[in-house]
Amino acid sequence: MERPIFQPVGTPVEELDTPALVVDLGVVERNISTFHNAFRGTGYGAEPANAGAQVRPHVSCHGCPEIARLQLAADNGIVCAPDSNLGGIAVGSLGEAEVFAGAGFDSIVIADRIVTPGKIRRLLALARQVSVTVTVDDANNVHLISEAAVDAESSLDVLVEVDIGRGFGGVTSGPSALELARAVHQAPALRFQGISGDEGPVSTTDASEREAETRRRLQPLLDTLSLLEGAGIGVSAICSGNTTNYEVVAGIPGITEVLAGIYPLMDMQTLAVRPELEPAAKVLATVISHPVPERAVVDAGHKTMGPDFGVPTLAGVPGAIATRFSAEHGILELDGSAREQLAPNDKVSLIPFNLALCVNQFDYFRAVRNGRLVGYWPIATRGRLD
Amino acid sequence: MDQLYRPQPGTPLEDLDTPCLILDMDSLDHNMDVMAEFYEGRHSKLRGHSKNHKTPAIALRQIRRGGTVGGVCAAKVAEAEVMVHGGVPSVFVTSEVVDPAKIDRLCALANQAEILVACDSQENARNISRAASAQGVEVGIVIEQETGLVRCGVQEVEPGVALAKLVDALPGLVFKGIMSHQMMSEPSSDREDRATEAHRLIQPVLDLREAVLAAGLPVEIVSTGETWSYDVAGEMPEVTEVQGGSYLVMETGYEYMPDFQFAGKILSTIVSAPKPGVAIGDAGARAVGGLKGLPRVEGRPGVEAVDMDTDRTVFHVEDGVQLGIGDQVTLIPGQQDAMVSRWDRFIGIRNGVVEVVWDIQARGCHN
Repeated sequence: MERPIFQPVGTPVEELDTPALVVDLGVVERNISTFHNAFRGTGYGAEPANAGAQVRPHVSCHGCPEIARLQLAADNGIVCAPDSNLGGIAVGSLGEAEVFAGAGFDSIVIADRIVTPGKIRRLLALARQVSVTVTVDDANNVHLISEAAVDAESSLDVLVEVDIGRGFGGVTSGPSALELARAVHQAPALRFQGISGDEGPVSTTDASEREAETRRRLQPLLDTLSLLEGAGIGVSAICSGNTTNYEVVAGIPGITEVLAGIYPLMDMQTLAVRPELEPAAKVLATVISHPVPERAVVDAGHKTMGPDFGVPTLAGVPGAIATRFSAEHGILELDGSAREQLAPNDKVSLIPFNLALCVNQFDYFRAVRNGRLVGYWPIATRGRLD
Repeated sequence: MDQLYRPQPGTPLEDLDTPCLILDMDSLDHNMDVMAEFYEGRHSKLRGHSKNHKTPAIALRQIRRGGTVGGVCAAKVAEAEVMVHGGVPSVFVTSEVVDPAKIDRLCALANQAEILVACDSQENARNISRAASAQGVEVGIVIEQETGLVRCGVQEVEPGVALAKLVDALPGLVFKGIMSHQMMSEPSSDREDRATEAHRLIQPVLDLREAVLAAGLPVEIVSTGETWSYDVAGEMPEVTEVQGGSYLVMETGYEYMPDFQFAGKILSTIVSAPKPGVAIGDAGARAVGGLKGLPRVEGRPGVEAVDMDTDRTVFHVEDGVQLGIGDQVTLIPGQQDAMVSRWDRFIGIRNGVVEVVWDIQARGCHN
């Protein structure tokens, strides 16, 4: 567990003990506003005819209830109707769902398959406290969950996960998906809610390419929707989309929920595609050695940055770039004025390449506003991959 | 933050909720015994690196089994705090500590245990001296020499000698010796290759030692060598302690060191089998780490990891191999410390059941 040294509210950000995962709340609020404006006119209270897609924040990548609350407080595109299975949040594991339920959240979609008897029991226990929707992609799994729900005198909402090309699970679109939806529909104690599909990040900055590619990837999901409707199966939720293509998905008739997660905090990977959103989460680090003019070493290595899929970017020091990360050390290569600018005990900021892998290394966000510490916000789901 | 999952000793492996970090106790003990047997009765000793396991119980287990200096290395002040509070009597912080607040914490720790710290600049030595004097403690200083990692450390003999002299003259500091850390450029199991490479990389440390001795200062500690060079650096007459850490948990990256067995692994469950030949496991990069590529599947011939995202691994399953939803797979990491630092506890397994649950107390102790 992280052991932050106490520093009072109001401490200037550059005086924080390092390494520190800092989140700038002003930037978070701008990102939420920008993102949710694409969903203007949708959400709770909108006319059913133009209800359109709404945002179900996927909170797995930050795991922080306080940040999730800021998302749910957005002016647009959030449904928070009581006793409805719409709106709410999505998580990546049963453990994360338990944590968010404990923090007072309701209407939780678990974008994960729950397959072992022990976890199915936990799932049903959770479903007694809050509204939970689980995703399935296998008929035997549907049978096991249904049986357990009957035994527990409980019931569950279910989404059928459709593989629309990423290859990380999901039933094949089309007739196989229809067959599984029927199985859910007929299974005692289960309520078929709809279908979901993860199309993965769409990595282009060109708006028309993005639209074409998103529509191409989502077509199997929409075809499956038609198939289900043709078979007389009522579908109330169709979940897809992410931060890279949110405005496109918002405008595709049929999609009801966008499960996006990166947009409040962002990371380098997603900033490359969505420059209108800003990096809100950065790791503050300290220069611990400047042994030769062309190199400085900071106290944030791979155990703090999580650079598994890409190297972080150094912010705000012209001529300096972050190049290598060993376990405890980050290496900066310096050119020009940066060679004189950086000295031991100076602070620098690093923007993670992949947000989830960086957040996974910390137990707290240092929440700051206008450059000063506001509080330590627990990353309540850290380590809850179970 | 996961304070919840602590299985009862005796729980069968197949009943564990996944993903979880498991530790094969037979392999762990084997790896500890290899070190204990090598260093027992030898002039050099192991000072195991606690950054790899972050767990006082494991540090103390190696110290009790023998072969050590009776202390550990730590990478961060917070790690050192956890080790000292856990009962380790001597801790060497192998990273430079420059922030004044951290220097104060380091000195406060020197009230409770023997504390050594790496240093590569005169200004840093002066700052530690001031803080140690103010607190009335002594901090041992070990000069870090750069030997190929292109990271921290003094680059040449002359500034190294000058720094040693300064440290020796400053109040609150005790000049202890020299350290370096190095990687094998072309991994090889062959002992001769490893000996040649270790001698080539460590020679600058020996040169600096000679020069410091010639300047009239005693060099009590020469700390160098690690898992790949434990048996060759440990044989050099000048080397007094070796900093191995990876040997405990092990990883595929160190497979070329077959003296050590894979001990730390991720237990994962197949949660989806969308089509023949494909299975999806519930552990991804957040669980096992992805810095050195994909993890290896243990004990299931015909099953291979082919893709991974933050929370999923995709397995290719050969024709005729049975692997269905609910089955467990065991993953060996490419890099052990990147895996361990993502978990809050080890679940120690022997003979297929839980033997012990150890909190990874210094997990997240980055500061």
